Amino acid sequence: MAATSTGLQSSERMTDSGHPDAVGPTTRPRPRMRLSTSRLATLFIVIFAVGVTLVLTAVYFLTARVLDNEVDVVINSEVNNLVDDYSRGGLLQLVATLHRRSDGWGRSGAVYLLVENNGFPIAGNLARWPQVVSRYNDWVEFEIDASDAGGAVAHPVRAQIIRLPGNRWLLVGTDILDRSRLASRLRTAMFWGVGASVLLATLFGLSYSRRIRRRVKAVAATCESIMAGNLSQRLPVEPAHDEFDALATAVNRMLETIEQQTETLRTTFDSAAHDLRAPLYRARVRIEESLQHEGLTEGVRETMDATLAELDRVQRTLGTLLQIAQTDGRGRDVPTEDVDVAALAQELVELYQPEAGNRNISLDYQGDATASVHGNRQLLAQAMVNLLENAIKYVPEGGKVQASVRTIGDSLTLSVADNGPGIPDADRARILQPFVRLERDRDQVGSGLGLSLVAAVMRLHRATIELLDNHPGLLVRCVLPIRKQLTAGFANDADAGSRA
Amino acid sequence: MKLLLIEDDLQAAEYLIKSLRDIGYSVDHSPDGRDGLEKATQRHYDVIIADRQLPHVDGLTIITTLRERNDRTPVLILSALGTVDDRVHGLKAGGDDYLTKPFAFAELLARIEALSRRGTALAESSRLKVADLELDLLARKVTRAGQNIDLTTKEFQLLEFLMRRPGQVVTRTMLLEGVWNLHFDPQTNITDVHMSRLRNAVDKGFARPLIHTVRGAGYVLKE
Repeated sequence: MAATSTGLQSSERMTDSGHPDAVGPTTRPRPRMRLSTSRLATLFIVIFAVGVTLVLTAVYFLTARVLDNEVDVVINSEVNNLVDDYSRGGLLQLVATLHRRSDGWGRSGAVYLLVENNGFPIAGNLARWPQVVSRYNDWVEFEIDASDAGGAVAHPVRAQIIRLPGNRWLLVGTDILDRSRLASRLRTAMFWGVGASVLLATLFGLSYSRRIRRRVKAVAATCESIMAGNLSQRLPVEPAHDEFDALATAVNRMLETIEQQTETLRTTFDSAAHDLRAPLYRARVRIEESLQHEGLTEGVRETMDATLAELDRVQRTLGTLLQIAQTDGRGRDVPTEDVDVAALAQELVELYQPEAGNRNISLDYQGDATASVHGNRQLLAQAMVNLLENAIKYVPEGGKVQASVRTIGDSLTLSVADNGPGIPDADRARILQPFVRLERDRDQVGSGLGLSLVAAVMRLHRATIELLDNHPGLLVRCVLPIRKQLTAGFANDADAGSRA
Repeated sequence: MKLLLIEDDLQAAEYLIKSLRDIGYSVDHSPDGRDGLEKATQRHYDVIIADRQLPHVDGLTIITTLRERNDRTPVLILSALGTVDDRVHGLKAGGDDYLTKPFAFAELLARIEALSRRGTALAESSRLKVADLELDLLARKVTRAGQNIDLTTKEFQLLEFLMRRPGQVVTRTMLLEGVWNLHFDPQTNITDVHMSRLRNAVDKGFARPLIHTVRGAGYVLKE
């Protein structure tokens, strides 16, 4: 006994701890949907804003360059003409030309000034040499006061300064008020354009991310409901006809097919149940009727009893198989109520204690006094009975079996631990499938359906089931979510069986 | 006692009727639901045994129709569908008991017996008495020939279940349903151990045993 109890202590430790890592698959993180869509939206907004800014800036600089070039070309050719005049006709010719040209001020916006080296103006339409400007061969920009319609306005001027032979200076420029106005308008337009684009992108991005989140949520909710057995559910299709709708339509077509197949399977199972049970029933009734006859030899009686026992076995296997199939396929039809799993476990342990005692196996319950989940009492009881019967069946004489139910957070952990031979690592995953039995248990009576039914019941309750090494022995641990309804829309009626 | 068997499986029905008549019941048979409903409404029966899947009118409709007419005749539903929800649907429709095919004839007999006596059940009394065995429901006390008998809670419930049905055969399945509220058959005959413990407590040391095993069927508590 002392040697065996160490094995169970490990199970106690594992079930007691409530470590996040001990619970394993129950602590599945919810996908961070919110983050990923808003991150996408932010990225979209930033890319859009940077893109729009770059395009508008490029447009601005290119336009400014073109306008500048145009001005410079005009000034350049004017300077060349004037220098030509000067070299061909001397100062007089140049002054004459300048006089002629200066009259055109206001129309063309041209600015001329010819000065002596000492700054004395000779000709031109500027009163004096602009203060800011030095007298070198260069391009300059300055402002002049020009009388515009209504008053004096500072006009920006761009000009070229040329030193003429004879130590005179010539300034040829043009009014660039229109150009700088255009540039400033362009800048304003760019500012508003970028602002409006970013605002639009933000609004669009947010609404788009909300839309995606909403649709993904809708799909997820529908999928949850479908997984719970409500196969008639369909993904919502919106009139938008976007990729989501295409996806939803495809998934809906798939669901249609699955529903049809499930329905076919269900009716097949129902008729199989009926068609297989009817002959079994007739055979049973006939044998029982024959057994009532007087004058049967003891040998015949024994054979008939054995046949009845075989029939029972076939019927039981068939029944369990149908139950597994229907538990998996009929989630929404199963009546549910609040089940005190802890109380149920204690009651079942009490039910099996004498049987375990007969085999010198100690069976006890450790855990919470009460712990409820929403589920089907009969199916949960059947699952626990299967686990207890399995443990008692495989644990050798003098062994220990311990059942436990505990609430940890918003889930309930139901475990049955023993210190028997356990299940080898390699077989643990497949042992939950129907008709799978361990080679070493070939001689034991059993259908290989007990654990499959447990797994089906757990699936129905959205629970996880794990087979673990109890060092030595087997630890079966089921983790059931407490707050989750099995499905959204099915009857919450209590099990009518309690009327008995 | 008059029984009505509504069953479309004629071969099975034939054997069942023969076996039931051999025991001394008077049995009428209807091969389909319409005929069955007609018979059920026209004559008086102690127990109606109705298959769930029937031609024309199904078993559940028969029950709901009877209940709507305020006919409280006990109905035992037979069904090849043996899942939890089927049983619940059957009982909700107003059925009194539910048996999954195939079943042992002894099981059927015990259920018919239980249903037929349901109406005449003793008035709710706080004391049950069979021979010299007395059970006080209020004081939670059991005495036999004046001697105190110590029982666990479950043993007490088990004994109460038997004492409410004196002289009736109680099957293992009925015990599981009635005492433990388990509506499925475990692999092991788990009730046997509990019965033998109860028997030890109640019958040991007394000349005449009160709890008897009925071979192939179950138990009966009688003098």
